[in-house]
Order: sequence, then structure tokens, then C-alpha cells
Amino acid sequence: MSAAPETVSGPLITADGIPLKESLQKSLRRSKIRAALLVAPPLLFLIFLFVIPIGNMLTRSVDDKLINQVLPNTFEAFESWDKVSEPDETMFAAIYQDLKAADKTDIGKASVRMNYAKPGWRSLVKRTARKIKKMEPPYKEAFLKADDRWTDNEYWLSLGIMKDKRTMGYYLNAVDRTYDFDKNVVHVDENRKVYNLLWWRTIQVSIIVTLACLLLAYPVAYLLATLPMRIANLLMICVLMPFWTSLLVRIVAWMIMLQQNGVVNDTLVAAGVLSDENRLAMMYNFNGTVIVMTQILLPFMILPIFSVMKTIPPSYMKAAQNLGATPTLAFIRVYMPQTIPGIGAGCILVFIVAIGYYITPELVGGKDGRLIGNMVAYHMQRSLNWGLAAAMGTILLIVILIFYWIYDKIIGIDNMKMG
Amino acid sequence: MKSKLKLTLLASVVAVTTAAQAEVNIVSWGGAYTASQQKAYQATYSDPDSINFINYNGGLGEVRTQVESGNVTWDIVDVLPHEARVGCDEGLFEELDRSAFTPAPDGTSMDDDIMVELPNDCVVPQIFWSYVPFYQEGTFKGEQPTTIADFFNVKKFPGKRGIHTWPNALIEMALLADGVAVKDVYKVMSTDAGIDRAFKMLDKIKDHAVFWSSGAKPLELVQSGEVAMSLAYNGRIGAAVLSEGAKFVTVWDGQVLEEEWLVMVKGAPNRDAAMDFLVHASTTESQAEQAKFINYGPMRSSAFEIMKQGEPWFHNGKTIMEHMPNRPEVMARSVVANPEWWADYGDSIGERYTAWMGQ
Repeated sequence: MSAAPETVSGPLITADGIPLKESLQKSLRRSKIRAALLVAPPLLFLIFLFVIPIGNMLTRSVDDKLINQVLPNTFEAFESWDKVSEPDETMFAAIYQDLKAADKTDIGKASVRMNYAKPGWRSLVKRTARKIKKMEPPYKEAFLKADDRWTDNEYWLSLGIMKDKRTMGYYLNAVDRTYDFDKNVVHVDENRKVYNLLWWRTIQVSIIVTLACLLLAYPVAYLLATLPMRIANLLMICVLMPFWTSLLVRIVAWMIMLQQNGVVNDTLVAAGVLSDENRLAMMYNFNGTVIVMTQILLPFMILPIFSVMKTIPPSYMKAAQNLGATPTLAFIRVYMPQTIPGIGAGCILVFIVAIGYYITPELVGGKDGRLIGNMVAYHMQRSLNWGLAAAMGTILLIVILIFYWIYDKIIGIDNMKMG
Repeated sequence: MKSKLKLTLLASVVAVTTAAQAEVNIVSWGGAYTASQQKAYQATYSDPDSINFINYNGGLGEVRTQVESGNVTWDIVDVLPHEARVGCDEGLFEELDRSAFTPAPDGTSMDDDIMVELPNDCVVPQIFWSYVPFYQEGTFKGEQPTTIADFFNVKKFPGKRGIHTWPNALIEMALLADGVAVKDVYKVMSTDAGIDRAFKMLDKIKDHAVFWSSGAKPLELVQSGEVAMSLAYNGRIGAAVLSEGAKFVTVWDGQVLEEEWLVMVKGAPNRDAAMDFLVHASTTESQAEQAKFINYGPMRSSAFEIMKQGEPWFHNGKTIMEHMPNRPEVMARSVVANPEWWADYGDSIGERYTAWMGQ
């Protein structure tokens, strides 16, 4: 407009005399800092409550340092032992030194760890450590006097499993395998196999629950999306109602309904459908877990499917029918493909939540409806075997990532719509 | 005006924080059990308001998290025999000055007054409880079950059996039912053949088993007729009989007694106050007092004397001695659980039991 362009000879300058490039960079930097500051709280939150704990969990699942720190001499003596003959004085002297020097708490922790390798270690070490102060050489004799199990070579041999600072033992344990004394991977005894069955069952239950949810949720979501607003809102409240009710209340309600002397069985018996001896076992078993989990996770399936259906214009169906498709064909060929992003989101949501479930299976699972989540909880809270719990948690994480990857390959993650 | 308001605010903040500091957090199992502790220990304490009860679900997971993170908020925890040992070994509990505790009226020191051998210096005596079989009056016609063998005999006493989802006490009971003498139980259990023998016995009720994992469940199962007989914690059965007039019959044969201890968490924020409360809670009188409100047996034998002389001792005027799991009459046919054995073999037996349950 004015003569401004002619006055520019060097670089472009803003009104306050700073070169345009610099000024631009400055304002860019400012907005970057602002953005970083905005992101900082959630980022820190993520790091502190997500990245660090998970990293910690991963390390715990392979960590075997403590035992090596507590018994350095013992492991050294173990290396020079021929593994066949009876342990000699040097080995007893080595373990004497270690037990004498170690902190009482560390001995306690180490003995718990040793007990995983060979049951019995814990009381053996504890009983001996209690008498360690009064011991005098020859140590072999003194140890045998403290506890005669010290002559059992199996205890000594089991040291071979623990001699490294990292162990895969917890992961092996989580899939029903273990190390033998030469550190070869072997199966555990047939009657102690627990975890593989539980892994398989967990995946089985998660898939069944996901499919059941899909089957039940699809028609409901369709109703919600197509009914007039007023009725749809009412229905929506019914769908969300369980969300507002305590999980425990819902579980107990199912117990009352489904147990052997529950409402459903009583009604069927009274109606003459069932005889009194043949009441259905729907609670405290596999069925109970599946039924209750399906009901609890149903809203997670309905909501994403509903939100996707809401965006599909009704005119598409009309157009398909105008072009000669029967309503069924139009539904299958035109409507359903468009709902796949919602189905995908719902399925993945339900599956991921289901695979880690443990409260519901604990309460209604009985003998064959308990899942791997129950074992993780058990080892966290009861047995205090955090290494094993961490290993199982890590495996769960990997299983979920694998399913996520499969989903991405088949449907594509870009196609997912949460709402 | 404004500064006055500020001052009041400041004062109230100070008051609140000091009150919070003086508060001793004691963590227990909730329900009738915590209620009995509140009535017997807290209400009789010199400063009842300084004691704050919190419920938990057992296990040392939370305690270990608190100690490892250095952020300890619990002072006293009520723990099971296994936890009492492992926690002390791992340094999660404080070792306590044993001379601070009150001796029995006849001068016996507290540690000698306890009915079992003291496992370590961390523990303060609480109670004995037991796993015991029971049924509802009228379930069986004719002959009634009287022995632990009857519990495992579904031919003679048909109907489902309620058992818990972990192996403790069940292995002992199975062996007792198979004819092993009380004193030999742990000797037999220490052999592989002994464990096989126990599982063979368990197999007999497996197809009739309903599993429970929370203490209220067995009562529901028996009350509703879902099972004919069940194992349960003796205190739950007693509470239903003594307070609610339930028609439950306890089979006092082959029960397995377990200890219950109080411990102080390592680095407890109110160490001195907590210690003072522990001393109060473990006196002979406090122990006897607790039996007024729940039928768990006191750990100090001197407490029994007070109870016997005070009968009917229960708070609602009923007699309590026949509901005590560790009364002398039933001890001959009871196993006192050996936590050392379970600490060694609990994990491997637990796996085998879980596998057995799932098969």
C-alpha cells in the first residue's frame, strides 16, 4: 500500500526493529516452551506412575543380585566343588563367613529366595544363622549339629540355579517350567502344573467374554442409534446404570440370582423344567466367571459401537435398498462394514480389560473359573514372590501387545474409533 | 479481624496436624474381629481417641511397599503366623523390647505365658483361631458327624463340602482323617508320600467341593443349603451361634489352630505411642476382655483363668468356654499349625493344590 517495500534493503524487520526471522523464532520458541509446560504435568505423571513402576517391575522379574551379594564366598566355593562328593570343610567355612558377615535382614531375604530354588532352604538357613555366633571350627561339624540337612547334596546343588545375577527362573516358573540343578530348562512335576492351564483359560475367558459382549452389544447399540432421541436417552441411562453401581453389589446380585439355591434355579425347579437334584451349576465355576464378566464389561462394548453407528447416515441404507438390495443384504453389505471401527475399539477394550480381571473371578470363579490375574494378586499380596508376580505381569503385557499387533495387521489401528 | 481469622485458621491447622501425629494406625481384618479389638483394647485404653483402626485384607504386600518406599503410615498390623515370621525375617517389622510387656498375675513373663513357642522378638500375642468343620442342625438324619473323617466321608454323610481355595489346614485335616496321629502330622507331611496321601484323601471330596475364599462365605453356603458341611473360621461360626442364635453345630475334631499376632511396622511413625498401646493390648486382662466379644482363644494361658472364673463371660450372658478353639478339652484332637513348615513348603504345596483344584 504505502512505500514500505522500498525502504527494505537488508533483512525483513518487524515494527520494533528486530529482524523478522529472529522475532519469528522467538515467538516460536515461546510457544514451544508453553507447549512443553502444558505437557509437563501429564508427562511427569506418566513417567512417575507408569514408566518407572513398569521398568521396576521388569527388573524385578529377572533380578537375582541380592543372593550373590549375601553369599559371595559360598558361590566361589561352589564353583570349585566337583558337585558329586560330599561338601567339604572349605565350603562350610565359606558359608560360615557369609552368614556371619551378612545383615540379619539380608539373610532373611536371601533364604526366602533360596527356598524358591529348593523348598526347605528357608528354615535350614534360619536355624543355622541363629546359632552362627557360637560356632567354632571345624565348621562342617558345627553346621551338621545345627541341622542335619546340611549333608543333603541337593541343597548345595541348588546353588547352581542362583549363581548368576540375572535369572529367567521367574519367567520359567510362570509357564510351568524350572531349572534343574545344571540350569537346564525342564518341566515341573505334572501335579504342580498350574500356570499354563491358567494362561490358556484366561485367554479363553477373555475371548468368550469379548464375543459374548459383541453379540449382546451390537443390537443394543443399533437400537440406541436408531430410536428417537427421547427413548434412546432413557435406554442409554439403562446402559450406564451398571457403571454407577458398585462392582461388588453387581457381583453379589449375580450370586443371588445364579447360585444353586438362587432365584433362577428355584424358578426353573418350581416351573418343573428342572428336577431338584439337577439344579444348574452357574455360579462358582467357569460359567459364573464368564456370565458376570460379560455383564460387567458390556458397556465398554456398547458405547464405542453406538458412537460409530450414530455417525452413519440413514440415507446409505435407503440408497442401497433403492438400488435393489433386500434390507438384510443392505444391512450386511452397507451398514455393518461401516461399524467395524466401533466393533474393533469395543473388542480391544473389552479384551484388554478382561485379560487382567481378578476381583470377579476371585468371588465367583470357584475352582475352575479363576484366572491368571488371581495368581498375580496372590503372589503380590500373600506369597510375596514379587519376582514371579512381575514376570507374570510382563507376560500379560506381552500377550496384550501381541493381540494389539494382530488387530493392527487385520483391521488397522487407524480404523479404531473410541467415540 | 483478618489477622484474627488467620490466627484461628493457623491454630486449627496446628491442632489438626498434631492430632494426626498422635494417632496410632492399627490395621486389622475388620468385621466382628476388629470390633472385639476396639471394645477390648481401644475402649479400655487411657487415650482411646488416639487409636485409629484400618481394615485390610491380609498379606504383607502393602507393608512391604510402605517399608521399601520409606513412606510408612501404618503403625501396628494384625498378622497371620506365616506373615509374622517372614515379615520379621525380611526386616519389615520392629523388634520389640520384651521386658516392656506386662507379666501374668502370677509373675510369669509374657513370653512364657504364651501357649506356643515365641517365633521371634517382633510379635505381640493376640489370639488363636482355627479351621473347623461345621454343619446346620437337621442337615443329617440319624447319625451325626462327629469326626474329621466324617467330613471326608460323602457316602456316610452325603452332600457338598465347602473348603477354602488354599491348602493350609486341609493337608493336615486330610491326614488326620486318614488316621494319622496328631503328633505325627508334620512328620508325615514332610515326605512326598505323605503329601500324596493327603491329596488322595482330598480326592474323595473333590467332586463335591464348593470353594470359598472369604470368611463369611462358608456360613452363607451352609445356611442356604448350598453345601451340607463346610470348613470355616471358628470365630465366624461362634459369632453366628452366640450373637444371632444360628443353629450351627461345630465338629470339634481335627481342627487346625492358627496363631494371630500384632506387630509394629519398621519405621512406624508413632513408635512410642504404638508400643504403649501394644503393651496395653497384650495384658492378661485385655486378652480375657476380648473373649467377651468374640470366641477366639487368648494366646496367654493366664487369660483363661479369668474367663473361667467369670463365666458366663460373653457380653450377652452366654458361656464362652465351649466355643474356645484352644480350650484344654479339644487340644488332644487339634493340630497347632506349624508356620515354619508352611514357610518352607507352602509355595510348592500351594501350586499343587491350585493345580488339583483346577483339574
